[in-house]
Amino acid sequence: MNTLSTYLIIAALLFGLGLLGVLQRRNLIGMLISIELMLNGANINFMAFNRFLAPEPAVGQIITLFVMGLAAAEAAIGLSIILALFRKFRSINVERAQQMRG
Amino acid sequence: MSWLFKDPVLLAAVLCTWLPFLSMAVILIFTRHKPQLSSYISIGAVSTSLICALYLLIKLVHVGEPVEYRTAWLIADDIIIPFGYLFDPLSLLMLLIVAVISFLVQVYSLGYMAGDPGFSRYYAFQSLFAWAMMDMVIAPGMLQLYIFWELVGLASYLLIGFYYEKWSAGQAGKKAFVMTRLGDIGFFLGLILLVLGFGDLGIVAMNEAAQAQAIPSYLITASALLIFCGVIGKSAQFPLLTWLPDAMEGPTPVSALLHSATMVAAGVYMFSRIFPFFAASPTAMAIALAIGTITMLLSSTMAMATYDIKQVWAYSTVSQLGFMVMGLAAGGYFAGVFHLTTHAGFKALLFLCSGVFIHEYHSNDMRDIGKGGGRSLKIPMVCMTVGALALSGVFPFSGFFSKEAIMGVLAAYPNKIWLLAGLLGALMTAYYSFRLIFMILFPKKVDATMPHDAVHYHQEKDDKIQIDHEEAAAGHGAAHGHGSSHGHEEGHGNVFWYMAWPLIILTTITLVLGFFQHSLEGFLLGHAADAHGGEGGHGAGHYALLIAAVSMGLAGIAWAYYEFGRKGASQEGFLARLPKTQALFANRWYIDRFLRRFLDRAIYGGLTNVFTRNDRRVIDGGIDGFCLFTIGSGRLFSFLQSGMLQYNLLVMVAAVGLVVLYFVV
Repeated sequence: MNTLSTYLIIAALLFGLGLLGVLQRRNLIGMLISIELMLNGANINFMAFNRFLAPEPAVGQIITLFVMGLAAAEAAIGLSIILALFRKFRSINVERAQQMRG
Repeated sequence: MSWLFKDPVLLAAVLCTWLPFLSMAVILIFTRHKPQLSSYISIGAVSTSLICALYLLIKLVHVGEPVEYRTAWLIADDIIIPFGYLFDPLSLLMLLIVAVISFLVQVYSLGYMAGDPGFSRYYAFQSLFAWAMMDMVIAPGMLQLYIFWELVGLASYLLIGFYYEKWSAGQAGKKAFVMTRLGDIGFFLGLILLVLGFGDLGIVAMNEAAQAQAIPSYLITASALLIFCGVIGKSAQFPLLTWLPDAMEGPTPVSALLHSATMVAAGVYMFSRIFPFFAASPTAMAIALAIGTITMLLSSTMAMATYDIKQVWAYSTVSQLGFMVMGLAAGGYFAGVFHLTTHAGFKALLFLCSGVFIHEYHSNDMRDIGKGGGRSLKIPMVCMTVGALALSGVFPFSGFFSKEAIMGVLAAYPNKIWLLAGLLGALMTAYYSFRLIFMILFPKKVDATMPHDAVHYHQEKDDKIQIDHEEAAAGHGAAHGHGSSHGHEEGHGNVFWYMAWPLIILTTITLVLGFFQHSLEGFLLGHAADAHGGEGGHGAGHYALLIAAVSMGLAGIAWAYYEFGRKGASQEGFLARLPKTQALFANRWYIDRFLRRFLDRAIYGGLTNVFTRNDRRVIDGGIDGFCLFTIGSGRLFSFLQSGMLQYNLLVMVAAVGLVVLYFVV
């Protein structure tokens, strides 16, 4: 069970769930959380490849740490955007934010 | 600039040709509001030009070879377009004529235009005219000639439309401009053809190459015919002759300038300038001869039907130009140029004399002038009669000699039809000129013989007819000039003498110029004259021809005397009994109407229509269609822009998925 493909499948599942969430949920916070899921899916990929294939053990972990930092920053910015939107529309439903349509 | 002062000839040339330009610039920029100063500047410039032209003539008279100063203006591969000066007998003579006539006309205008609100403008344009004409005359290359040729056209447009607030004057200016431009298109095409085929636009080079048969004959014929289109436009030949009579809308001195030495003479001058080139193409010469003849006869008949004093001289100018073209086209280089010279003198004289009458009586109608007592203005009357005698070719006036020269050339031509046409033209010329003279001299009503009535009439007219400009400026010199010079003109006021002196000088020229025929001939032709034995004229039957030509002139005068001069004459002329012919003549053979209709049908109806349609349908339609397509497709694609974040994401994911699919599979 402890093979590379197991981890990859789990990562793909996580990523797929995240994508589904982003595309399907109309709640902006839900979308944000789904993005976190996708990022974590990618993280698992990095760690798995690092564990099984990479001769230099640190690289994947460093990238993962970077991605986590990025995710934190993104969550902060994302939340502040959502806050601003909420102030304007009194809602966090993404369907309300359609002002930029052609 | 030191190169300029090393050579006095070049210095004189530069002064001669560029001072008028300078004076125009100074007048337009600085002295517009000081009319008196403007006129002095302009006259000063043109008199310096006159002195320089005289100096050049004296200095270069014995130089056999043409003197040329030239610099390359445009260089493209082996095509070099020169700019500069070319002095040979022809250009020297013409330069002097232009300078003399411009000078006299400007002096005369001091009187004629006195008090006009556009006085400074008038002198600026006069300077422009003089500058353009002089630089055209001395051009060493056809392109320079063409550029100044167009500038002459521009100056004449400005001067013809001088009273621009008058509708007809503006129209006449436009007509002159557009009609001459029509011919100039041909001229320019001819030049392009020549550059492409021959590669040199230098006048000397062209003439030499044409004489040496270095240019293929089809090229000569084609380009000569195209260049002749320019002559047709500029010198008012058939069928573009109707702009010239309309050009009478300008002030009378302008008409004098236009009709004698500058504008219209430019065409004939250009013809003689590249005469050897034309002569190398018999076809072109034959066509030119035919066109000259048609022009001469048509316009003579028109002159017989009009009562406008200036129109008569205008038609007569057209006919004399036709006569010159005939002379040149028949191979008489000297004859044509000589007639151009003498004509410049006596036609300027005739116009300036008419100007005095028009100025005095505020009417262009010869019947009015006659009734108003035109005969009491002795100096203009005598001068005008001298001019008319010269025009009719009566010995010993200058016209006699030059007409004889052309007749001689025509007689030497194998086909005698042209000679007959020339004689007929001489008859008609004498008839219409003396019709005018007798109508003024012996007016039908008796009152004109009594000066008091004349005065009344004049004053009445003054009150009644407010003829635009001179009157608008009443209170100035002009009005004083009227009062003092009227009835007993031998006297007072500068204004009158400004106008009288040029007349006297021109009359003198007209009287003596003819006797210089042989020296002029020697000058113009160089030694070639001896080899030729003179051009035409000296052939067999010369005296018979002489008698025939003079008797034609005298017959014309006698005819006019019978109908207009003798006591109890009807003063109606034979044309009054032929109303249809009179209408035909008075309407200029319907050339205008024909051109109008031609324009309407062929140009506006046909060509313009096609172009308009092309513009509307193809060009506009194409652009409109393209725009509509862009807008429509934009609309279509804007449906994708729902603004819905997740749809955008979905599309992105799908696209990435497809890309992945493409690379993997």
